[in-house]
Amino acid sequence: MAKYTLKRVLMALLTLFVVACITFFLMHAIPGNPWLSEKTPSEAVINALNEKYGLNEPLIVQLGKYLGNLLRGDLGNSIKMQKNRPVLDIILEMFPVSAQVGVVAILWAVLVGVPLGCLAAYRRGTWVDSLLRVICTIGISMPGFVVATMLLHLLCGTGKPFPALFVSGSLASYVLPCAALGFYPMCYLSRQTRTAMLDAINQEYIKTARAKGLKNKKIIFKHALRNALIPVITYLGPQIAFTLCGGFVVETVFSIPGLGRYFIQSIQNRDYPLIMGTTLFLAAFIIVMNLLVDLAYKLVDPRINLTKGEN
Amino acid sequence: MAEKKKAAFGSLQPDIEDILSWNDLPQGAFESATAAERESFIQDRKSVSYWKDAWRRLRKNTVAMVAMVIFLLIALFAFVGPFFVPYTHSQQIRGSESLDPWHYSLEDQNRISAYLEEHNGVGLMNPDEAVAHAQAQAEAEGKTLSRAEIARIRAQATLNQTGGGEDRKTAEDAVKELGIKHKPFGYSQAELERKAAGEDVFPHVFGTDDLGRDSMVRIMVGARVSIIVGICAALLVLLIGAIYGSVSGYCGGTVDAVMQRIVELIYSIPEVLVILLLSATLKPGLDEFQNSGNGPLQSLVTLLGSNLISMFIAFGMLYWVTMSRIIRGQILQLKQQEYVTAARALGAKGGRIIKRHLLPNCIGQIVTTTFLQIPSAIFLESFLSFLGVGVSAPLTSLGSICSEGLAGLSSYPYRLFIPAAILSVMILTLNLFGDGLRDALDPRLKK
Repeated sequence: MAKYTLKRVLMALLTLFVVACITFFLMHAIPGNPWLSEKTPSEAVINALNEKYGLNEPLIVQLGKYLGNLLRGDLGNSIKMQKNRPVLDIILEMFPVSAQVGVVAILWAVLVGVPLGCLAAYRRGTWVDSLLRVICTIGISMPGFVVATMLLHLLCGTGKPFPALFVSGSLASYVLPCAALGFYPMCYLSRQTRTAMLDAINQEYIKTARAKGLKNKKIIFKHALRNALIPVITYLGPQIAFTLCGGFVVETVFSIPGLGRYFIQSIQNRDYPLIMGTTLFLAAFIIVMNLLVDLAYKLVDPRINLTKGEN
Repeated sequence: MAEKKKAAFGSLQPDIEDILSWNDLPQGAFESATAAERESFIQDRKSVSYWKDAWRRLRKNTVAMVAMVIFLLIALFAFVGPFFVPYTHSQQIRGSESLDPWHYSLEDQNRISAYLEEHNGVGLMNPDEAVAHAQAQAEAEGKTLSRAEIARIRAQATLNQTGGGEDRKTAEDAVKELGIKHKPFGYSQAELERKAAGEDVFPHVFGTDDLGRDSMVRIMVGARVSIIVGICAALLVLLIGAIYGSVSGYCGGTVDAVMQRIVELIYSIPEVLVILLLSATLKPGLDEFQNSGNGPLQSLVTLLGSNLISMFIAFGMLYWVTMSRIIRGQILQLKQQEYVTAARALGAKGGRIIKRHLLPNCIGQIVTTTFLQIPSAIFLESFLSFLGVGVSAPLTSLGSICSEGLAGLSSYPYRLFIPAAILSVMILTLNLFGDGLRDALDPRLKK
């Protein structure tokens, strides 16, 4: 287990390094520079600015310097959007806003999705099952922005229950973004749970429980659910990542000042340190989540031998 | 023969007595089959191929068939539709800006304005008219208006016009009280007059946008772009994934280990971040390439549009991983089979074995996975376009139409919801059909 963990951590660090390199070269390959605006400054000014922010050096040297600073925990300063403010500061200000919405969204997705999946498996073949299947298939076929804009149009604004403008701290303005963000994972989770549950129900130990005379409800929710949850957990890691990314859309639609929206703006503004900082932060977050889920997987089900590969 | 076999029924011992006695048969015991007997050996029904069998199973799946029909209708709408509409997706029609997908007939419009004039009086005159009206009245009474009075009248008229007056009636009130029903499809004033004059005017079925572009044509072209993106991305994923996965699985050993580490690495890269960056990067680069000369490659870029190509590349570069894993898993199983050993014994090279023996045997998995890539590519494309980094003007896609519609959501909700509905239905039907396809091609998977 220790060896496996070490291997995975090293792999995660390597991934992060690759992401840093890819992002670095990609963002410098985008034509244009941070200094372009309605009033393009003169050649001399641009040169002076480039020199000040170290943009006149060869790319590989810039990358080396950036990575060196990164190891010391220095993500650099923003050069355009919030001039000279440390990137880390900006991220630490934006991320909690995104995280609040994301966590609530994931929570409701799990707390509603899993029981619905169980219910569908429990009532397999009845109208409940069919209805849930229809809703969930529609749910995973609707892009996030469709759900978000529909909620916005139907429930926001004057005379409707929710405010049209996002106010940080006001509870009502969190309801719809969380609902929109959690809808897709909810549907997906309930489909997954149903499949895993039906798999579990056909196992021998369920027959034993039935032979023992246990009630159906107890069999499903106590014996089968524990085993059915394992594949669901594996799915949660990427799902948390997806929720962060889906956050881009929800934040744009509801104008939430979160990290996702800021990331897209930073690309459009060519604010190089900010692009690097936000990408690395989000990437690290996603990679760590995946790592934790994989390790949790092993803890939950000791039969699984991760070191031997997937077959 | 048949009776003798029955004697052995129920016993685990094979019935070999017969077979032993075959050794003693004299030469003359054989006689050649008659023509009729030979005829009976020819199978009566045609052998059912794998695809026919799958199609038969698929046809029984009502949900999948309905989904297929709906998707084909949408595809027809997207690919054939634009030929029947006299407008193009980037054509701006003067005087037809911001039309609703409904209209009032000319008589009804006259009734509405008569009603408004009756209830609002001069209220609906524009400031200049109101001033002229008042001046005419004053002259008739032999007075002249002071500057302050003119200013007051002007201000009042402006106020009335912008909806400041409290009991001012709006067009909506008029429609309600007169019981006027709106007619489907959008026409501008000028177009209605031309239509009344007997000309054949094509309606704006879904209305038009701020710039006077016909929404229906834009949605058709957008849906076409989305479908093309989906199919091309899926084919690209198939190509890269199949080659990578089969080589990795077939070679095994160190090659496999190294290739799988690379896969793991790409798998854990947060794809959406990289795709956002990639599509922002590639688009201007391709534009530059397109303008750099007149070679065949440049004209290909012009034909497809740099936006689309950058999307394919971004998608193809990251999404082949799942496909390669599936194919590798299949090949690892299949390469242990005897027929692969036989092929190798006959001297077949690795490439031939993969191409002729291994890949055809996992065709069901390959087709299903490729097909299910299409809706997910459409999903991703709409996501990127909605955020403004995907397909951009002059080309359009369902995602970018929705993104444009977001700006006027409260006044023109249909500008967002019509394309959004078509997009969702498209993805839904593709998903349902893909599920049906999986069940049909690989019945073992069915639960």
